[in-house]
Amino acid sequence: MNHIKEKTMQSLFFLTACISIAAVILICIFLFVNGIPAIREIGIFNFLFGTKWKPANHLYGIFPMIVGSLYVTAGALIFGVPIGILTAVFMARFCPKRLYNILKFSIHLMAGIPSVVYGFFGLVVLVPFVREIFGGRGMSVLTASILLGLMILPTIISISEASIRAVPESYYEGGLALGASHEKSVFYTVLPAAKRGIFAGVVLGLGRAIGETMAVMMVAGNQAVIPGNILSGVRTLTTNIVLEMGYSTDLHREALIGTAVVLFVFILIINLSLSLFRRKVN
Amino acid sequence: MKVSNKCTIFIFFGILLLSVLSGCGNTSIDNSSAFDPTKEIHVLTREDGSGTRGAFVELFGIEQTNDLGKTIDHMTDTAAVTNSTSVMMTTIAGDIYSIGYSSLGAMNETIKSIPIDGVEATIENIKNGTYRIARTFNIVTKENVSDTTQDFIDFVMSADGQTIIEDHGYISVSGTEPYSGAMTSGKIVISGSSSVTPIMEKLKEAYLEKNPSITIELHQSDSSTGISNTVDGTCDIGIISRELKDSEMDKGLRATAIAMDGITIIVNNNCPINGLTSEQIKNIFMGNIVYWSEAAQ
Repeated sequence: MNHIKEKTMQSLFFLTACISIAAVILICIFLFVNGIPAIREIGIFNFLFGTKWKPANHLYGIFPMIVGSLYVTAGALIFGVPIGILTAVFMARFCPKRLYNILKFSIHLMAGIPSVVYGFFGLVVLVPFVREIFGGRGMSVLTASILLGLMILPTIISISEASIRAVPESYYEGGLALGASHEKSVFYTVLPAAKRGIFAGVVLGLGRAIGETMAVMMVAGNQAVIPGNILSGVRTLTTNIVLEMGYSTDLHREALIGTAVVLFVFILIINLSLSLFRRKVN
Repeated sequence: MKVSNKCTIFIFFGILLLSVLSGCGNTSIDNSSAFDPTKEIHVLTREDGSGTRGAFVELFGIEQTNDLGKTIDHMTDTAAVTNSTSVMMTTIAGDIYSIGYSSLGAMNETIKSIPIDGVEATIENIKNGTYRIARTFNIVTKENVSDTTQDFIDFVMSADGQTIIEDHGYISVSGTEPYSGAMTSGKIVISGSSSVTPIMEKLKEAYLEKNPSITIELHQSDSSTGISNTVDGTCDIGIISRELKDSEMDKGLRATAIAMDGITIIVNNNCPINGLTSEQIKNIFMGNIVYWSEAAQ
């Protein structure tokens, strides 16, 4: 009797695991079945490297959007990663107890704020701020990078902090015993030992940054041209899909699904190269 | 680190943050003497599927037919794209060098509209024909509609519905008979233009007061999305702020005009421009006029 119950529960858990895998496979199939014929019809070279996106004139080049996504994600990492890791180090090793509770609460709150609220905040506060201090229109690569950097902070901070706390105390005490000060011991023994966890946090943050749509759409200007400098408007792969999906028909709609395929391939490449990198490090 | 050192650093960063934030807070109270005409015009436009954009480029001649008979939209590539009327108005309210366009009925005090060819954008001028930049709001349905949907359409076209339309800054198109229906149950899904959504909200509230057991869902997107939703059955009524194209009429849709609305050119309240000609507006939005000094009269 127990044996049957065991088997039933095992198969139930196996089934639930299969559901997640099935969901990913279904998404893959939908994307590739609908997107690949469109890419083939437009011509893969014209699609990936064409610099003009004008569906009304049958021009479907997404190169400006690929460049836009890369710039904005890189900018988000430049803003988010140093601030995030240093905040995590502070919270784990330098923070007084009372301040810690306040900080923890604010980080959780930041993680829960919807993207559209971040976008509105960016539109009303960040865009005039960038326009006053740096010039240009305000809706630019810089604004989108700052906003995305803010949005990925909670992810990076919580995971990095957890992995710093998970480092055995003996590492820190060993550093002190060898004569290092408190700061030197933290930065030269504890932090390198937490490398893997911090890396995982950064990868999750990168995934969120490259996929963010609503917030970026309100602050980036959405011009479908390659940004000339950091203060020019930009359109990312994600905002391109959202702006036009509602009303697109035929080849236009399939070209947008093709854009989603490109995005998917990017994320695959990032995840694969990062797991290869991690294997080499170990 | 000693406690007093930590406190000093906290206080220093706190003061820095407050001064930076107060600096950016003051920019909205700039007076017009800070306007520099040598700066570029920041052109704002709506996304491709917007009915407001479609009507705007057609009425100002920015959309032109080439030799092969294809209509091409010549809106400048450097125009920033905002995805609804409200985002457009918020952006212009914060940028003294920006210019855009929006529905006349959606105007509020955060931005100002400028006269075109010397004619102010007001309801009277649209009615007497001197302000010609206007388009109809249409509702789009398939050939056969449910009784509930037909009753709602009757309400919108009745004197009660059209009075609400007039009260909120739009122009009525019919409305001689009062509304006399009474429905017991049903559900209507309405989807489409962000320009029409505000007045549709008011009509929905008024209709629900008379027929409280009906459910109405209102989704905001843009005109072309409303049309494709009606075609594939996702919604019962599509609301659009432009005319139906021939290709859309071929899909078995019929359109009914419910109101007229002007399109107005909007700038920041502190922008010193007092009016533009339609030729200047066309050149600004096509990218031929780049600096404010070229546009000043």
